[in-house]
Order: sequence, then structure tokens, then C-alpha cells
Amino acid sequence: MSSIEVLYLTFLTTGFVVGFGHCIGMCGPIVVSFSFNLKTKGVMAPNLLYHAGRISTYAVLGGVMGATGTFTRITTGIGGLQKGAMIFAGLIIIVMGLGMSGWIPLGRIFGDHCRPEGIISRSFRKLSGIQSTAAFLPLGLVLGLLPCGPVYTALIAAAGLGMETQDTFKAFLSGMGLMTVFGIGTVPSLLMVARLSGMGWLKSRDIIYKIGSIMMVGVGIYFLIKGLRY
Amino acid sequence: MLCSDDKTKSHFVQLRSRSRNICLLSGCWIGMLFFFTMILPITTQAMDHSKMINCDVHHGTCTQKLQDTDIILDISPKPVKAMTDLKFTITLTGKQGVSEPFIDLGMPGMKMGPNRVLLKSIGKGVYSGTGTIVRCPSGKRIWKATVTVPDKGSVEFIFDVIY
Repeated sequence: MSSIEVLYLTFLTTGFVVGFGHCIGMCGPIVVSFSFNLKTKGVMAPNLLYHAGRISTYAVLGGVMGATGTFTRITTGIGGLQKGAMIFAGLIIIVMGLGMSGWIPLGRIFGDHCRPEGIISRSFRKLSGIQSTAAFLPLGLVLGLLPCGPVYTALIAAAGLGMETQDTFKAFLSGMGLMTVFGIGTVPSLLMVARLSGMGWLKSRDIIYKIGSIMMVGVGIYFLIKGLRY
Repeated sequence: MLCSDDKTKSHFVQLRSRSRNICLLSGCWIGMLFFFTMILPITTQAMDHSKMINCDVHHGTCTQKLQDTDIILDISPKPVKAMTDLKFTITLTGKQGVSEPFIDLGMPGMKMGPNRVLLKSIGKGVYSGTGTIVRCPSGKRIWKATVTVPDKGSVEFIFDVIY
């Protein structure tokens, strides 16, 4: 086994291990919110698309880190984007939670009755329409930018690979591969969370739904505050 | 068609269901409020690793003993900030081993993935290498550098970093 294969295996395992600890705590609320918001639809396909999007972003970041061989310069460069992703995640969860509860007529406030072509109406339509399966891919692409300790650690390793590889293209591919296997490693734990929160009996209970929406608003506010303070 | 009694009964059932929902939702809100104001600070305090700090990396070097060897850790530039390139220097006193020491960076009580700083000898018993301490979005700032000296063992330096 070559050293790069060992590294890939190490980070696949790392992704799997941190997935069941770190990721469930940090990204679990997002996945639970999505599953609740999907209501009667199946959770697997949207979640798989979400993870595909998230892993694609990781792969691109890993490729860039590998090609440039630098971690700190790139992360400084994308710091604003990461802050934005965290705030976006908070907002999306709050809108989903409020929309799901039906307590506040968001459609009347921000929807077509406001200004149909205004930015608020359009954004609201897009955010509240995240029940279509295809929408989860771009969502994953954006939320793949969420700041996360273990992702940073994997990116450091991707940058390290880049420093060791002379050929820039090879370094790009190595970094990309490392982040892809790391991302794949984190999927089982989050799929498990999505599957549990998307169980039929859980979704069929109105009161659980309402409690879920309150929790979603709480989690959204938490993400929003963390994002603003990041 | 419902008679007057049935209407009253149905109205009563609706009212009871609504008040039950209101009670449950109020309970949920109060529970969340209680969780965020009372439970969370207590658990956060319990998981507070600041009491474990055994090294002030911002104002100098830190020393720990491993068998007959003193291990001195220095991180620069100071103050030590996350997400920047940092230079880690280890000085070993006493009898030197053949293999070079290395540092594993992590957080106490949280798995962050393997982040190893490889060190190269820059003088007698002095080893140096570059690495990065990443920023944890949870806001926790306590980090740990586990210095391993092959054939001897390892020691942990626990310190806070600036985000």
C-alpha cells in the first residue's frame, strides 16, 4: 500500500469516526431540519443529493489546497464565504421551521403578496420551496462551505499532500481524492440521523411536528448567532 | 346533522385538544428556555477544559518531564492564533534518542482528525516544524499538543489559543 493510499484510508476512517461524534452534533441539526421539512416524502434521495453536493465542495477545496500546497492563505480567502454559509444555514433552518409550523403566515408576509418580483419574495419562494429533491444538491454545495474543525484538519492534510507532490495537476487530484474519501466517511452517521428523524410514525404526529419546528427555529437562531460571531 | 348536545361535545373536544396542544407547546418553549439558560451553561461548565490548561504558550515556553528528559515546547509567533502558520519548536534535554519527536494537535474531549506536525532537527536536541491549529466553530479554544518522543513516550501540553 502506498503512502497516499494509507492517507486516504486514514481519512476515510477519520470521516467515519468524527461523523458519529462531531458531525452528528454540529451538522445533525441541519439534516434533522431537512428531514422534518420533507414531510411525507422519502428522506434518502434528498439527503444523498445533499451529501453529494457537500462532498463536491470538499473535493474542490481539497483540490485547490493540494494544487497550491497552502491551507492558511486559502482559508483566509474563503473566510467570508464560510461565515455567509453559516448565516445562510441559520436562516434556512429558521424559515423551514416557521414555514413548517404554520403559525406565522410567511407566505402572506414575504411571498407573492409582498412584491412578487422583489428579492425578498423570490428568496422566500426559493427557501421555502426546499422540498423538491433536486434542490438539495445546490444546498449541499453551499453548506459544504460551513466552517468545521475536522474538515479543516483534512484540508491541512490535502495541502500537505500538495507540498509533497511536484506536479500541480497530480497534487490537485490527490487533494481532491483525500477530501472526497473524508466526506464519504462522514455520510453514514448523517444518513442514520436523517433516517431516524424521517421515520413515518414520527412525522405523522402533529405535535411532534410542532415541537420539531420550535427546535428548528432554536437551532437556526443558534447557527445565525454563531455565524455572525464567527 | 349534529344536535345541540353533539355540537357542544364536539366543541368541547376541539377546545380540549387545542388547550392540550397549547400546554405542550408552552411546555416545549419553557423546556427550551430552561435548557438554554440553566442546563446548557452547567454542562458547558462541566465540559470546560480550561482547568486542564498546563501551559501558557502566549508568554513563553512550557516544560514537562518525561522519564529523565525535559521536553520544552515553544510555539511562535506569539500570541498563538488559530488558522495561521505556526512554528513549533521542541527542545529535549538529557540523553537523545535516534528518532525525531513529533507533535499531534487536537482538542481535549473532541475528535478533530489527525493533525501531526513533523519535526526536523535544527541543532543538538532542538527540533522544529510548522503546523496549524484550526478554528473550531463551537467556539472552544482549548487545544492540546501531544509531544511524542519515540521509545520514551508522550506528554500533553494543554493551552488556549486565540480565534
